[in-house]
Amino acid sequence: MVNLNTIPPKNNREYYIAIGLEGSANKLGVGVVKHPRLASHQSGDNSHICKAEILSNIRDTYITPPGEGFLPRDTARHHRNWVTRIIKRAIKEAKLTDPKLDIDVICFTKGPGMGAPLHSVVIAARTISLLWDVPLIGVNHCVGHIEMGREITKAENPVVLYVSGGNTQVIAYSENRYRIFGETLDVAIGNCLDRFARTLKISNAPSPGYNIEQLAKQCKNKDRLIQLPYTVKGMDLSMSGILAYIDSLAKDLFKENKKNKLLFDQETGEGLVTVEDLCYSLQENLFAMLVEITERAMAHVNASQVLIVGGVGSNVRLQEMMAQMCRDRANGRVHATDERFCIDNGVMIAQAGLLQYRMGDVIKDLKDTVVTQKFRTDEVYVSWRE
Amino acid sequence: MSQEIIDTVTQYCTKNIPVTLISQGAEAAIFTTPVHPYLQNTNEDEVYIIKYRPSKKYRHPTINKALTKHRTLSESRILAKLFQIKGIKVPKLIACDPYNGYIWLEFLGEDLPNGFGFSNLKNYLWMNATDSYHDNVKNTLVKVGEQIGLLHWNDYCHGDLTSSNIVLVKTESGGTWEPHLIDFGLSSISNLVEDKGVDLYVLERAIISTHSSFSDKYNEWILEGYSNIYKKHGKAGNQRLTEVLARFADVRMRGRKRSMIG
Repeated sequence: MVNLNTIPPKNNREYYIAIGLEGSANKLGVGVVKHPRLASHQSGDNSHICKAEILSNIRDTYITPPGEGFLPRDTARHHRNWVTRIIKRAIKEAKLTDPKLDIDVICFTKGPGMGAPLHSVVIAARTISLLWDVPLIGVNHCVGHIEMGREITKAENPVVLYVSGGNTQVIAYSENRYRIFGETLDVAIGNCLDRFARTLKISNAPSPGYNIEQLAKQCKNKDRLIQLPYTVKGMDLSMSGILAYIDSLAKDLFKENKKNKLLFDQETGEGLVTVEDLCYSLQENLFAMLVEITERAMAHVNASQVLIVGGVGSNVRLQEMMAQMCRDRANGRVHATDERFCIDNGVMIAQAGLLQYRMGDVIKDLKDTVVTQKFRTDEVYVSWRE
Repeated sequence: MSQEIIDTVTQYCTKNIPVTLISQGAEAAIFTTPVHPYLQNTNEDEVYIIKYRPSKKYRHPTINKALTKHRTLSESRILAKLFQIKGIKVPKLIACDPYNGYIWLEFLGEDLPNGFGFSNLKNYLWMNATDSYHDNVKNTLVKVGEQIGLLHWNDYCHGDLTSSNIVLVKTESGGTWEPHLIDFGLSSISNLVEDKGVDLYVLERAIISTHSSFSDKYNEWILEGYSNIYKKHGKAGNQRLTEVLARFADVRMRGRKRSMIG
C-alpha cells in the first residue's frame, strides 16, 4: 500500500515545499513546488493527483551561435555563473521568506546527462543544503519528466514517449519500474534534429528543433516528400543513418552539386528541393517512426493513453500526429504539455523528488550525492506507485 | 476508427465474404472469415484470417504507400518460403494483395481455458504465472526457442519478436502446445549476425517488460531451445551459434545509458 504521507511536513504545516535544481544539459532550471497534504494520499495510487502548485519555474538556456553545439565545459561554466542568481529569483518569485523554515527538501538531477554541467549544479545543491540545513534528494531526469507530465495532464497510467536531445524512449510502467519498451539504438531524436540544424547553420535560439519546426511549416511542396530511410527495428529505432543521409543532401544543396538528381533538374539545372522541404521531410519521417513504435507499445500493453514528454515533445506536429494515432485507436487520448514543462526545468525535478521524499527516501550522507552520466530510467525503484 | 476499418474491409471484401474483426494491433487489423477465396468450403467450422494494413492517417501518404506495399509483399513472400521449410511452423498463406494491404491466411490457435484469452505466448505465460516453473512451461519455451533457432538457421529474421507474436496450437494428442510464429511484417532475409542478435534482444526485452518476475528463467529456456537447433549442425553450427550469442551480448550492452555495473 502506497502511503505518500509517511513523512510529515516541516513545522507542522499542512503542505510540503520542494525546490528542484536541474542542469543536465544546456538548460539551467530552478523550480519550487508545493504539495498539500491530502487524505487521499494515505493509501492507493494517487501520485498523479498531487494538486501540486507551481510557485516558481525559472529557466536559463545556454545558447550557442548557429552551427555550433554546446560543449560540456562551456555549459558547466554557464551554469556556475547563473545558478546563484536563478536560485535567488526562484525563491523570490515563490515568495518564500525564509528558505530555512519553508523548504522541506532540495532536489537535484542525479543523471543522466552531461557530466560537467551536472557537477556544477549538484555543488550548488549541496551548498544550499548545508546553508539551510535541508535534506537532499537525487532525482533521475527521465523520471522527473514522467512525473511532471503525469501531474500536469492527470494521466493515470499512460505509455510515455520521452523525446529530447539526449533521450528517445518509449516507456510503460510495470511493477514499480518505468520500463523501457523501445528506444533509439544510436543518436537521440533531439540530437538528430540539433545536428541537422547545425548543418543548416540556423539559429539555436530558442532551440534548434523549434526552428526546424518553423521551417518545416513553410514547406510549399508537401506532396512531394523526399524519401528517407525508414528505420524502425521492432520496438527500437535508429536515426544516425537518416541524419547522415539528409546531411549529405543538405551539403549537396549548399554546394550546388548539380549532379545530384534528387535536388536538381538534370536538364535545366533548376533546384527541385529547398531547405524547408528537407526539414519537412525529416520531421515527417522521424515522427512517423516515433508514432509507430509508440503505437506498438500501446498495443502490447493494451493502453489507450499516451503522454509525450521531453523537449521534442513540445513540437506541435509530433503532438498532432500522436493525437491522430490515438483517435484512430479506439478511445485513445494523447497528453502533452507545453514548453514550460516539456523542456528541462526545475519544477519536474522538485515534483519527482518530493514524491520520493514523501515516501521516505532521503539522502543521509553527502557522499551519496554523487551524480552520474549514465542512469537508466528503469534503474529507479518507483515506490510511490502500486 | 475501428468502425472505419471495418467499413473499408467490408467494402473491399463485398457482401459475399462476411468478416469479423478479432483484433486490432498496432499495424494491422485482423479479421476472420468463413470463406476461402478460391476453394469450395468443405467444412463449415473452418475459418480464415484476413490481415489488413490500414493506411495510417498520421503518416505522410508517400511513406504510407511505400510501407504498406513493402511490408505486405515481403510478409507474403517470407510466409510462403518459410512454409516450405521443414520444422518451421507458420500460418499457411492463401492469398495477398500488396497494393491494398491485404493478406489471407490460415487460422491458428484457440482460446485458453478459464478466460485467459487467445492462446498466444503472452496469455499462456500469464495463465501459468502461479506455477511458472512447471515442466510444461519449460517445454513450451524451449520449443519457442527452437522455432526461432530454425528461423535464424535458415537466414530469416523475424524483426518483431514479442510474446504476442507467438501463437500456441494444441497438439492433436492434447496436453502440450506447439508454438507457431506469426506476424512477419518486419521480417527480412538476412545472414547478418547483427540482425539475429537484435531479434533475440527484442524478444528478451519483450519478455522482461511483460513477464518481469520470471523473465530470467523464461529467457534461459528460450535460449536453450535456440541453441539446440544450432548444435544439431555440428561444428559449423556451434561456430555460428557462438557468433550470434556474442553479438546478442553486444547488442544488449549497446542499449543506451546502461549502467556500468550490470
